Amino acid sequence: MNDSYDVMVIGGGPAGLAAAIAAHEGGAAVLIVEREAQLGGILKQCVHDGFGLERYGEALTGPEYAARDANRVNELGIDVATGTYVLDAERSDGTCTLTLTNADGIWRVTIKTLVLATGCRERTARQVLIHGDRPSGVFTAGCAQNLVNLQGMLPAHRVAILGSGDIGLIMARRLTLEGAEVVGVFEAKPQPSGLPRNIAQCLDDFYIPLHLSTTVTRTLGKDRLEAVEVCAVDDQMRPIAGTERLVECDTLLLSVGLIPENELAERLGVPLSPLTHGPIVDQHLQTEVDGIFAAGNCLFVNDLVDYVSEQGRRAGAEAARVALHGQNRMLAQVRVGAGVASCIPQRVDREADLSEVTFFLRSAETYRKVEVMFVDKGEVLQKRRLVAVRPSEAVRLTVDLNEMGDDVWVSMAGGTSILKGRDHV
Amino acid sequence: MKLDRLQRELRKLDPGITASEKDGCVLLEGEVDDYATIYAAGKLAVDKERYLGVLNDIALRGFTQEVVLPDVEDDLLEGTTCDVLVIGGGVTGCAIARELRRHQLDVLLVEKGPDVASGQSSRNGGVVHVGVNFSKGSQKLSYCVRGNAMYRKLSHDLHVPYENKGQVTFARTKAEMLALEYVHRTALDKGVVGTKVMSLEELREIEPSVPDWSVGGLFMGTAGITNPHLMTIALAENAVQNGARVCLDTAVLDMTVEDGLITAVKTNRGTIHPKAVVNAAGVYADVIAQMADDRTFTIHPRVGTNIVMDKKVGGLVRTSMGKTPFTLTPSQLEDIPDNPLSFIKATIASAKSHTKGIALIHTVDGNMLVGPHAEETPDREDTSTDRTAVERIFKNQQEVQPDLSEADIIAYFTGVRSPTYEEDFVVRPGVRTRNVFEAAGIQSPGLTAAPAIAVDIARWVRTYLSETNDVQVNEAFDPVRHAAPVLAELSLEERAALIKENPDYGTIVCRCEAISKGEILDALRSPLPVYTVDAVKRRVRPGMGRCQGAFCLPSVMRIIADEAGIPYEDVVKGSARSRIVFGPK
Repeated sequence: MNDSYDVMVIGGGPAGLAAAIAAHEGGAAVLIVEREAQLGGILKQCVHDGFGLERYGEALTGPEYAARDANRVNELGIDVATGTYVLDAERSDGTCTLTLTNADGIWRVTIKTLVLATGCRERTARQVLIHGDRPSGVFTAGCAQNLVNLQGMLPAHRVAILGSGDIGLIMARRLTLEGAEVVGVFEAKPQPSGLPRNIAQCLDDFYIPLHLSTTVTRTLGKDRLEAVEVCAVDDQMRPIAGTERLVECDTLLLSVGLIPENELAERLGVPLSPLTHGPIVDQHLQTEVDGIFAAGNCLFVNDLVDYVSEQGRRAGAEAARVALHGQNRMLAQVRVGAGVASCIPQRVDREADLSEVTFFLRSAETYRKVEVMFVDKGEVLQKRRLVAVRPSEAVRLTVDLNEMGDDVWVSMAGGTSILKGRDHV
Repeated sequence: MKLDRLQRELRKLDPGITASEKDGCVLLEGEVDDYATIYAAGKLAVDKERYLGVLNDIALRGFTQEVVLPDVEDDLLEGTTCDVLVIGGGVTGCAIARELRRHQLDVLLVEKGPDVASGQSSRNGGVVHVGVNFSKGSQKLSYCVRGNAMYRKLSHDLHVPYENKGQVTFARTKAEMLALEYVHRTALDKGVVGTKVMSLEELREIEPSVPDWSVGGLFMGTAGITNPHLMTIALAENAVQNGARVCLDTAVLDMTVEDGLITAVKTNRGTIHPKAVVNAAGVYADVIAQMADDRTFTIHPRVGTNIVMDKKVGGLVRTSMGKTPFTLTPSQLEDIPDNPLSFIKATIASAKSHTKGIALIHTVDGNMLVGPHAEETPDREDTSTDRTAVERIFKNQQEVQPDLSEADIIAYFTGVRSPTYEEDFVVRPGVRTRNVFEAAGIQSPGLTAAPAIAVDIARWVRTYLSETNDVQVNEAFDPVRHAAPVLAELSLEERAALIKENPDYGTIVCRCEAISKGEILDALRSPLPVYTVDAVKRRVRPGMGRCQGAFCLPSVMRIIADEAGIPYEDVVKGSARSRIVFGPK
């Protein structure tokens, strides 16, 4: 590890690896900082396949997908500090200084640009207001996945799963294959949160029931979990009194959403979006703070690792360019209009060429035959017609925005809301 | 009140309740259908002039206390003798065990839970109270004032974080300010120094979060904050370091009392023959006192829930801050009909609610606590949390601090307090049994009072034992706990030097709290090692942060398994039955 680099990438998961490779290819001296002993991030424990369909046209397992990028990092001779944790980060004009710790000591490293690829964490039982006792046997789905796939342990015999997020669905299948009984998946929303392919392949194929508009309200058991109380919810997702019933189980898995990890970004004064809970970025994924970039799930909770890698590449390439050549940005706003739940980028740098700006959007509801419109002062700059969109699948669109003025609105219009059975305007 | 009048009053509550006098106490018996009646009867029977205390034996139909007993049955302690047996490993018991070791006494502490601080000692807000709200002549007041004065030195000796940031009680009206003025004027008389009545502006210099609808309040300069479970663990470790024995997973099941002396104490790990017994059994203190034939009081469990907020918003309060017990919040005001009587009724109801006012507390770890509330319950062991209570606490405090957001909640926990109906501590030598010493009825401000209670109990025990034994001073007693380094408190240079010595201090296991493998191993190699995930979490915090252990649990389990030399699947959360994994897949 040197005292200074052009670009530092924090996080050695798919976003960080892609960013480091792109930054290196852009001619920058790069350091990857990874907390764990090995590169690969959460992909290390995702032993199921389906990764890389978009990027490679083949279905890889998580470790295989990660290994391709990690091997490339090694071939290119990019500096990697594993087992290394960021203790502190400060910014002074044009540079950042990070304080790192690992088994070799304490390090202070100065850099020109920074790519945050810190991923996300899972929401916990307390954050979804589950009450009752605090026995063992309540895990986030990712924690259980680690116990099964990395530690080789069986954490459950009889499992209830709260939330139909992808990790929960994957774990329903995984635990069934390991001999546990999955008594049901409970989802407070009226529609599943995970990808349709995961509903089919992980639940339907194994006859695991999915209970929509139902949530877990209490955990029971003094030592190990003995049962959970489940309850129907109203359209505000509030439990309906009188619908409580007990489901006997020794394990509760939670797959109730992911929270982008941005504690470091916040410490560096990077403004976050209330919609994505990640940094506000321009089309190159540079945050509002010059020289600090974000990519992957700390920026936008993605459904596909392919998109994570794409974001990493984009951020890394620009981080190298800015580190080596400097920049002069003029940021215009992208505003979120009707039908869109969240979107990146939220800014566009008008100094750059805007003929290919890539957006990742999440719809507020499930719509059929919807038009995504980019509008400036009442004038439609671009529109794309989509057959169907659902909140569980992010939409990726590349549009030409060279004609835009001071800001642009992105909205979804003209479609039919499946859920409410009415036209959406 | 006289027995016949009490009996008449009780009949109004429930005709099945009878009152009689027994051993200088008032005994209530009967069986009723709701717990509120039992509680009301107990309250009604309080008469400190006439009786030693209330023995409330009214049964609740359909309820039996489910006692959580350790999943251990052996003869580890069979035939053990000791000078002093301390029952209960809460902050009081641990402080007493440590204090007793200032003399050459053979001290054994038994705790029913899998770790010390398993009950209310680990489930409270950590405020070191000043005592202004306790009445003159009460044990609560005197022990609180004495204990408060001991805290700074004790925390320093035991290497437990302590912050003396003071406490703020704010008022909404001028009338409430007058009440606070009265509290301030009587404070000195109670032995409480450092209080000051302040305007809103002055108060905000100290505590910027005082709400706009306040007119000012009382600042109590000697109030502090400690880490309650760490304090308890530190007292226990220092006791062990000085030669006391601590035996966990050990429940007292019965006692033999002959001629006013306890001669044998039966546990799940064998029968112990102590010369003296200290009852510091928390919520079960009356049950233990009964076994010792020394019961003059009844514990009525009272739960309180605290909400833990992310460190990110820990700065929303600087001290510990709450409204006066009389103060109604703006929304409470809106809810009451617009007439003076309703206002007075609501004010009285608020003042009677038996908690020093739900507060916002800045913890020594940098988080913020919101709570606790207070609710009477029949169950001494029910530490479950309840959605309605948590939502109510939170909504209530959002009026005090509008920046509170549910998104920043990382956890909540419930503790069961152990008050008596007299609402005072019972710290005394036995009244009938000569070799038992009570440290009972300890609820708030028990954490503050514990070191002072320990001094008195130790003195009484010593005096008693000196009648028959030669009790020597323990010259080797070292009040300083040999604490492991806390990396977060060190400079980068000190940290680097430590890593050079031991690379494990550079390997971060818990990302949220930045806890190293070295610190976890230190906790497992302490004078009182407890090989469970919860014990490690309470000692060095992995799993206390915003991810609540989702990332680090598998690694922490690996470290515990390796250090304890046990298979991975045998690592438990807390109790022996709280398995985490069932074995290799």
